[in-house]
Amino acid sequence: MKQRLSLMYLSFILIISSRESSSSIPSNSFIGIPPQDEDYFKREIIKCKNGSKKFTKAQLNDDFCDCPDGTDEPGTSACPLGKFYCKNIGHAPSFLYSSRVNDGICDCCDGSDEYDGKVKCPYTCHEAGKVAMESFKRKIEVYQEGVILRKVEIGLAKRAIARDKAELSGLKNEREVVEKVVHQLEGQVRKLEQEPQEKDDKMREARNEKVENEESGPDKNVDSQIEPMKASDVEKQGQAGESPSDQNEKDEHESSEGLSREELGRLVESRWTGKKSGEQVEETDPVKNDQEEGGPDAGYEESVADNSGRSSTAQYKIGVQDLKNSSDIATPSGKSWLDKIQETAQNFLQSVNLFSIPVANLDANKIRKEYNHYTAKLSDLESRISSLTEKLKFDFGKQNEFYLFYDRCFELKQDKYIYKVRPFRNATQEDGSSETQLG
Amino acid sequence: MKMKQVAFLFLIFLASQTVHSWKKDEFRACDQTPFCKRARFRKPGACTLIAHDVSISDGDLTAKLIPKAPHDQDQDQIKPLTLSVSVYQDGIMRLKIDEDPSLDPPKKRFQVADVVISEFETRKLWLQSASTEKINGDDGGLSSVVYLSDGYEAVLRHDPFEVYVREEAGNRRVVSLNSHGLFDFEQLRVKKEDEDWEERFRGHTDTRPYGPQSISFDVSFYGSDFVYGIPEHATSFALKPTRGPGVEESEPYRLFNLDVFEYLHESPFGIYGSIPFMVSHGKSGQSSGFFWLNAAEMQIDVLAKGWDAEGGILMPTEQSRIDTFWMSEAGIVDTFFFVGPGPKDVVKQCVSVTGLPAMPQLFSTGYHQCRWNYRDEEDVENVDSKFDEHDIPYDVLWLDIEHTDGKRYFTWDKMLFPHPEEMQRKLAAKGRHMVTIVDPHIKRDESFHLHKDASQRGYYVKDATGKDYDGWCWPGSSSYPDMLNPEIRSWWAEKFSYDNYVGSTPSLYIWNDMNEPSVFNGPEVTMPRDALHVGGVEHRELHNAYGYYFHMATAEGLLKRGDGKDRPFVLSRAFFAGSQRYGAVWTGDNSADWDHLRVSVPMVLTLGLTGMTFSGADVGGFFGNPEPELLVRWYQLGAYYPFFRGHAHHDTKRREPWLFGERNTALMRDAIRIRYTLLPYFYTLFREANVSGVPVVRPLWMEFPSDEAAFSNDEAFMVGNSLLVQGIYTARAKHASVYLPGKESWFDLRTGTAYKGGKVHKLEVSEESIPAFQRAGTIVPRKDRFRRSSTQMVHDPYTLVIALNSSQAAEGELYVDDGKSYNFKHGAYIHRRFVFSNGHLTSSPVGNSRFSSDCIIERVILLGYTPGAKTALVEPENQKAEIELGPLRFGGQHAAVAVTIRKPGVRVAEDWKIKIL
Repeated sequence: MKQRLSLMYLSFILIISSRESSSSIPSNSFIGIPPQDEDYFKREIIKCKNGSKKFTKAQLNDDFCDCPDGTDEPGTSACPLGKFYCKNIGHAPSFLYSSRVNDGICDCCDGSDEYDGKVKCPYTCHEAGKVAMESFKRKIEVYQEGVILRKVEIGLAKRAIARDKAELSGLKNEREVVEKVVHQLEGQVRKLEQEPQEKDDKMREARNEKVENEESGPDKNVDSQIEPMKASDVEKQGQAGESPSDQNEKDEHESSEGLSREELGRLVESRWTGKKSGEQVEETDPVKNDQEEGGPDAGYEESVADNSGRSSTAQYKIGVQDLKNSSDIATPSGKSWLDKIQETAQNFLQSVNLFSIPVANLDANKIRKEYNHYTAKLSDLESRISSLTEKLKFDFGKQNEFYLFYDRCFELKQDKYIYKVRPFRNATQEDGSSETQLG
Repeated sequence: MKMKQVAFLFLIFLASQTVHSWKKDEFRACDQTPFCKRARFRKPGACTLIAHDVSISDGDLTAKLIPKAPHDQDQDQIKPLTLSVSVYQDGIMRLKIDEDPSLDPPKKRFQVADVVISEFETRKLWLQSASTEKINGDDGGLSSVVYLSDGYEAVLRHDPFEVYVREEAGNRRVVSLNSHGLFDFEQLRVKKEDEDWEERFRGHTDTRPYGPQSISFDVSFYGSDFVYGIPEHATSFALKPTRGPGVEESEPYRLFNLDVFEYLHESPFGIYGSIPFMVSHGKSGQSSGFFWLNAAEMQIDVLAKGWDAEGGILMPTEQSRIDTFWMSEAGIVDTFFFVGPGPKDVVKQCVSVTGLPAMPQLFSTGYHQCRWNYRDEEDVENVDSKFDEHDIPYDVLWLDIEHTDGKRYFTWDKMLFPHPEEMQRKLAAKGRHMVTIVDPHIKRDESFHLHKDASQRGYYVKDATGKDYDGWCWPGSSSYPDMLNPEIRSWWAEKFSYDNYVGSTPSLYIWNDMNEPSVFNGPEVTMPRDALHVGGVEHRELHNAYGYYFHMATAEGLLKRGDGKDRPFVLSRAFFAGSQRYGAVWTGDNSADWDHLRVSVPMVLTLGLTGMTFSGADVGGFFGNPEPELLVRWYQLGAYYPFFRGHAHHDTKRREPWLFGERNTALMRDAIRIRYTLLPYFYTLFREANVSGVPVVRPLWMEFPSDEAAFSNDEAFMVGNSLLVQGIYTARAKHASVYLPGKESWFDLRTGTAYKGGKVHKLEVSEESIPAFQRAGTIVPRKDRFRRSSTQMVHDPYTLVIALNSSQAAEGELYVDDGKSYNFKHGAYIHRRFVFSNGHLTSSPVGNSRFSSDCIIERVILLGYTPGAKTALVEPENQKAEIELGPLRFGGQHAAVAVTIRKPGVRVAEDWKIKIL
């Protein structure tokens, strides 16, 4: 302390006697230099570390920036790119931006960054060291707990993967069988089609519908968004020759006059907040709301619920339900149920005497019913196979330790928000009324 | 295929939705505004009023305006109007026309209160006499002429009545009113039985109990090639004609304070603020100005040459002229004519009426970080620490509406901000400040003390039936304190005391938003015009000044809070003439696109020209997500706005400067640091504005009044008299054409390269910076040390950058004070003048200063100086200082290009001389 005071006194005299120095020239020209670098600065002529320039010993920490990279001013704020080294005995040493030197704020726990006498920094390294040690210990504990947890997860994951893989191969076998059956039935159905009309019409209709559905499957989302547009607005535009936005503005205009004071307030407010302003308002702006609500969002939620990689369609949803039934059957034992299917199919084919008896005698409806049944089954199988394959494709960590996270949802309530994280899928922030996707 | 087409159409539909989100039909165009439509139908010469009983009384030139020849019944109703012309020091003429109070008008028309500063009246020149003249070309009619100022006279022509200012020698006119006979004054009258005075617009009914009461007249500027001013519009700086030959979409400039959702970047429609002050400038290098003190809705046409081709009124033709047409819904004629003749003179004359800009606190001239919203205390702490982590300086962290308890201002959300005082103290420990939002809409909630208090005292604006007006804003059902009433303003001011504003600390300052006022369910998203203020004043009469009174009351609150010792900082969105006395404004809810970056420059220039110098646009754009390149360009430009704040809508992605990769972080850091190195220069400019009104950011022609090429340039601007800056307004720009005015050279701020003045330079552009130059002949003070905030820079040494002109001379100034208090008003400041000539740099005092500083000058950089000298002698100590080559800027790898005097070590507060040997 005494020493420091006398140094301050010295520098004070320096200021008085010579205008060349400022109050922030450090008393110790090696201040701010890490010990391992001290030798570098012991020469008479020193190089800037980036090689751009040389400077003399007197220019080291003389509070004037000579090296653009800050080599000559490790202990002052003169060079913007300088780094100040705090020894921090009792805690870990650290580097500071030169902008922190003598700025009136104690940054180093040893207070060495504030030496111009404007502030007194308490020496807090021992306390800080203790705190750091404690938190380090806690970290180790957490880590150890984690290691144990991880082991458990790896074990569970192994079993789950084996199970899923077995299921997958089972499903693939089943698909083979069902494919065969479908193929056979298809031949029959084709024959039926050559039959005279009445009934056939109905069936073709049904089939066409199905084909169409299947074709539009992947685009279904886009399609459903556009539908209302197509129906009302595009046509209207064509007729009235108005631009879409005009149309929309008009809608809002016309209806906003009929709104109550509060509804109007909420409507205008919603432009800034982006929040919906209540049912009345939704009605006033059907196209916009459709685009906000109808399409991708709804689809997305469903697909999340269904564990599917595909966008959802009504068709698919049914498929999943069916799948549950079939997998119920599936679980008891592997081969027997495969045999069963083959058997039933065989029985059925025999009972309708596919190969010998003229088609006229057959109960056509029954064949079609069976055919539909098996095609549906096949598509269920396929979707289940693809979702399992997709699942197995993810990177679940080195030892697949995160495998079981696939079906989990983690929730955290933070003040007014609920955060939900579904690993490998999505993360949301909900605040009661609205949900925000967090990317 | 069909589906694809439909999808395409759908996309187009979506796109058009975003482009046209500004709901044009929600706002009244001129032809939907009866008074505007009527006024625009009038033909030149329609005014038949003549000046009668012209005399000098109480130091004014007064007259009665009466119809020349009353023929029909209608005109019998016209009662004489009173006219008075007063003259003030420094070339200001005031013309007032009102109804004669002795003739019992149904109501006293509103005169805008508390805008003209009280000192102004003390500068009135007491007129003794008027001379009567027959002026050539006036068909022998008489005119009364009075002295205005050295070289100028004010003239009242009697028949037909016309008022103008002219130069004493000869007949060169400066500004005139009613030269085209378009003057009209709708007098208040009793409603006739068959009349319907109500006006309806989009489901809103204006009862208009006093009927039509509008005023309109033409104003001509002589020797004029361009007119500027009348903010706030998002449009070019030089005002384009709005009517006449060659004008396609004829819509006048509207002055009506409105909260416009997603305003357009090129539009004459009114937005958040209004200053009815226009400046003219012409080839002669001379400027003049006209200010109409009127707070009702105003519409102003700039008339294209030839608009009156069929009018047949002969005007003096030897001078180029711009005619304008002013229309207001209510109020009186209270107008000010400013003779100039220099551009700075006009601004000085205007602020001598409406007041000088307040001296801001030093911290408020730094960088501000804002977002709707920083969620909670943890978020605040995190953002704050990230600035430190990335070594980016900033001074103020802002909290938008979500910090409150249900949008009840003066309260805190207890979940998100449980420890507001501690939070502010943590920031203050790093020398940083916080700003919270306080809007004028008060939640109508019986359990909210502020509402209870205001409603019990009857302090709210009333609706047309006399009940408290109930509108809708953020908190839902809301009422609005009647800020016209001084008693209510003091009541409001008390709310900012530390006792009343629980959770506030001395490092907390205020942001006034939505004070147009914004009313979500009101006509045009504002308050109905028939709402009632104190003394039965209708809202229509003072609408444009409501936000001004609110801003005033808030600033008074902060002043009271600090016992009159702490300079307030209040940012306001709405403004009126005089708002410069109370704080800063910004250009409202702009958008994250290049056009809005571009239009921010003319908007800030216009505000400065009309007295409101402390202004800026939201860096990055409020709505939408800026591309990183746009954001970087915006920081590079925003660093030169007088008010420098990053802000964003809550649906946008986070965009703090460190979120776009290392390279972009470095670029934004560099832009912000440029601002910080220039803070001494900016602060000096704020002081210049504070004593003269001359704005911090200026149009080129304010510094180069005779340089015609600069008249309509609003891509570039001057910061003070020394720096010229031009933004980069397009993506992936490789080149920029920059016009550098004047005869002297300009030095690139980054490289020191000299460019000749008086020509357009095609410059290569890098991502690192926007074009910026220092004018030869100037000295700019800097502080080159980087700190966390301006607070830590106080003791840091200075760098002087001297750009030598062709005679190897330069000069500049530095102003320093404590950055916080009003002690500077009692001389506690340092004001130095630096002059370089004959190889000597001298520092001498300006005025009598009594402030001490331990700051030294660590470096003097000479641009345009031939290297060679090795040493300099510092007097009076006779110390030697070395001269060497050094970098022009710090903080990167900058080459040693500039002659640098190393460590002269002289103190800023003292006299000294540095001689190059």
